Amino acid sequence: MSGGTLVKILDGNTFVVSDASGDIDASPTDATGLFAFDTRYLSKWLLTIDGQRLNAFSTDDLSYFEARFFLVPGTGTVYVDSKLSVIRRRAVGDGFHEELTLLNHDEEPVELTVRFDAASDFADLFEVKDALAKKGTYSAVVDDGELLLGYERGTFTRATRISSSVAADVDEGGLTFELRLEPHGEWTTSLDVVTAMLVGAGAAQTRTRYAREGARGRSSMETDLERWLGTAPRIECSWDPLDETYRQSLVDLAALRFSPPIAGGKALPAAGLPWFMTMFGRDSIFTSLQALPFKPELAATTIHTLGSWQGSRVDDFRDEDPGRILHELRYGELTAFEERPHSPYFGSVDATPLYVVLLDEYERWTGDTKLVRDFEQEARAALTWIDRYADLLGNGYVSYRRRNEESGLENQCWKDSWDSISYRDGRLPGFPRATCELQGYAYDAKIRGARLARLVWKDPDFADALEQEAADLKKRFNRDFWVEDGEYFALALDTDGNQVDALSSNIGHLLWSGIVDAPKAKSVARHLMGPRLFSGWGVRTLAEGEGRYNPIGYHVGTVWPFDCSIIAWGLRRYGFKDEAATIAAGILDAADFFDGRLPEAFGGYERSVTRYPVEYPTACSPQAWSTGAPLLLLRTMLGLEPIGDHLVVDPALPAGIRHLELLDIPGRWGRIDAFGRERVEVEPRAALRRQLGSPGTRRRPGRRR
Amino acid sequence: MGDTVTETDAATGFFEQLARRGHEPLLAKARGTVAVELTNGAEGERWLVTIKRGAVNVVRSTGDADCTLRAARDLFERIAAGEVNAVAAFLRGEVAVAGDWNLLVLFQRLFPSPPRPGAAEPDTAAGGPSR
Repeated sequence: MSGGTLVKILDGNTFVVSDASGDIDASPTDATGLFAFDTRYLSKWLLTIDGQRLNAFSTDDLSYFEARFFLVPGTGTVYVDSKLSVIRRRAVGDGFHEELTLLNHDEEPVELTVRFDAASDFADLFEVKDALAKKGTYSAVVDDGELLLGYERGTFTRATRISSSVAADVDEGGLTFELRLEPHGEWTTSLDVVTAMLVGAGAAQTRTRYAREGARGRSSMETDLERWLGTAPRIECSWDPLDETYRQSLVDLAALRFSPPIAGGKALPAAGLPWFMTMFGRDSIFTSLQALPFKPELAATTIHTLGSWQGSRVDDFRDEDPGRILHELRYGELTAFEERPHSPYFGSVDATPLYVVLLDEYERWTGDTKLVRDFEQEARAALTWIDRYADLLGNGYVSYRRRNEESGLENQCWKDSWDSISYRDGRLPGFPRATCELQGYAYDAKIRGARLARLVWKDPDFADALEQEAADLKKRFNRDFWVEDGEYFALALDTDGNQVDALSSNIGHLLWSGIVDAPKAKSVARHLMGPRLFSGWGVRTLAEGEGRYNPIGYHVGTVWPFDCSIIAWGLRRYGFKDEAATIAAGILDAADFFDGRLPEAFGGYERSVTRYPVEYPTACSPQAWSTGAPLLLLRTMLGLEPIGDHLVVDPALPAGIRHLELLDIPGRWGRIDAFGRERVEVEPRAALRRQLGSPGTRRRPGRRR
Repeated sequence: MGDTVTETDAATGFFEQLARRGHEPLLAKARGTVAVELTNGAEGERWLVTIKRGAVNVVRSTGDADCTLRAARDLFERIAAGEVNAVAAFLRGEVAVAGDWNLLVLFQRLFPSPPRPGAAEPDTAAGGPSR
């Protein structure tokens, strides 16, 4: 009955995925259900009337946290002019709140049996992904007119409580309402499904240990969303799709906010729905960077939270070292029993230098030196980690090799799938691996750390030392990673110091970090915009023609909007304004195909061949750093750069956007407006084009003013 | 399970060492009092760790705290020895916490690294080419 369309609503790390009629009937491996804290709390939630499932007449996504389902009885194949309407209105909170309304359109009264079948498999999100079997025991108890579903494995307990405003006949498999509807009568009940993570053990606490009782009030969530949108900069633009994309990005970013218990009610971006509604070092940092000109408070929470969780031990299972910034934190059963290392897991090698980068970029925008002072210790520990714990080969380069061989990540860079790092001929290098962008991040962290040391920590000696190290790193890097016969930077160095010589999008991140010697930048930009890397929509993760290139390979040929936004930022840094605008045009055009919500990745097919961006099949959506990509592209198109206490605006708009205004940009200057006009006259067109960067109208890369 | 409490057990050692240090750099940002309640059958003991910007004071007391961590004594001994991870134990329901989470997260930094077979100096052995 699902018809393939899934309806998702979420709030923080609680989310409900149902079919178009609002029903949940999960198989062990699909991601429908009510999820919270990485556990599925409801795997079955089926509404029947007189024993029959209902048909979806229409479904409204009222907001990211609320949906409404209009249903009618029927056979599923033939639509019968029904005398009965059924409306389900569902809002997610701590669990969800559902209002069921039945309307009798008949002249006659009608007697009905309304039934909700309910069950939970309490699957860990990892189990849903990998189809693993459970080790604990289940319970279903009727208690004072409510249904309690439980799961226990030793002291580990999780529970779901289901209650209704109208008294129901409750049994262990669900709730039944026997009711009579008068002619043109209406009947309604609300149902609350509340999740509980019972901490501290003891069944006696069952009733008192529920997370906040009931769902968070809808009105407060609406007010919150209005405030969120109302305090963001406003956009005025001659190209309508950008308005829509911008609004969708803000709404999705609001939905992806996640308040871990230690953040004091403040939020940071989680990584993506449905698999990644948790704190990720890398994703939270990149998204906070992308959103800085719009929502700088996200960066503050990210710095605070990741800083508090910073590694302090040497723990091989968790790939933890002192000073290391976490990769991923999970709350589910497999993590609890150490069948997965995510308590938290530290196996990323870029989050730590990027932490320092974010701290500095945050200060440049906001002038909040207090936070920089408060997290001096964490920033210093992160900088120390780079040299002391990440230089695995003792050759002055950051590299990675997992110490948890069983469940740790092989590739600890953003391209974390198994085959992402390869030579041109497709061979995979051994470990440790020193990918190129890691050296860029380390360089940038040292440069930015030096600025903070001088400005805020008042430690000029430390600043001098960091700058010296950075200069040395830059010199060596430009020598050791430069592929002479291709004139680009190698993807990585292997354990022998040889170049892993595939051409990849990683070289764009090097421009962003500033580690590229100026004379080499032009060649890097040429490759990024050349036919092997640039698809017409964006930059492929791996260049066409490389051994492992596959246009729908996760990190070996697809185009990632987040990746492209960082590359555009890098191109701007080295003065390649038109090239940055070309990338912005391609990604924003792609966004329009997805109604403003960019997927995690789409296929690397040539734009002129497919004409539309082919979504990567199992990608998360919305995904935080894809959501952040249009925001960062607004920054690169307008050329926004905080210099001292001022915001410099240096616009370079893609052809087709005649003017762009971003109003009330928050920062150390208070609020300020930025304006951009099309820089180059383009040939007049008969009609407004919908697309910015279609092959016929895209300006040739490399033509700079 | 059922270990007899001796003067040099890991739990007492953990607090005594903390008291001796007087200043703990890992808690430089922290401010507040953490209560650690250890249960052992019908018996219980309660340690209060008061932190003021890294200065640490440890007493056995029933006084007020900003957050509380409660565990069986033998479990806490294993946490204090680095054998059990506190966060995973919390997720399993073996450790109960209440109150100021931020302080608890900072406090858990103090638990030592797990023992590493073959590594003499667990705190300095970083990833290196030898492994």
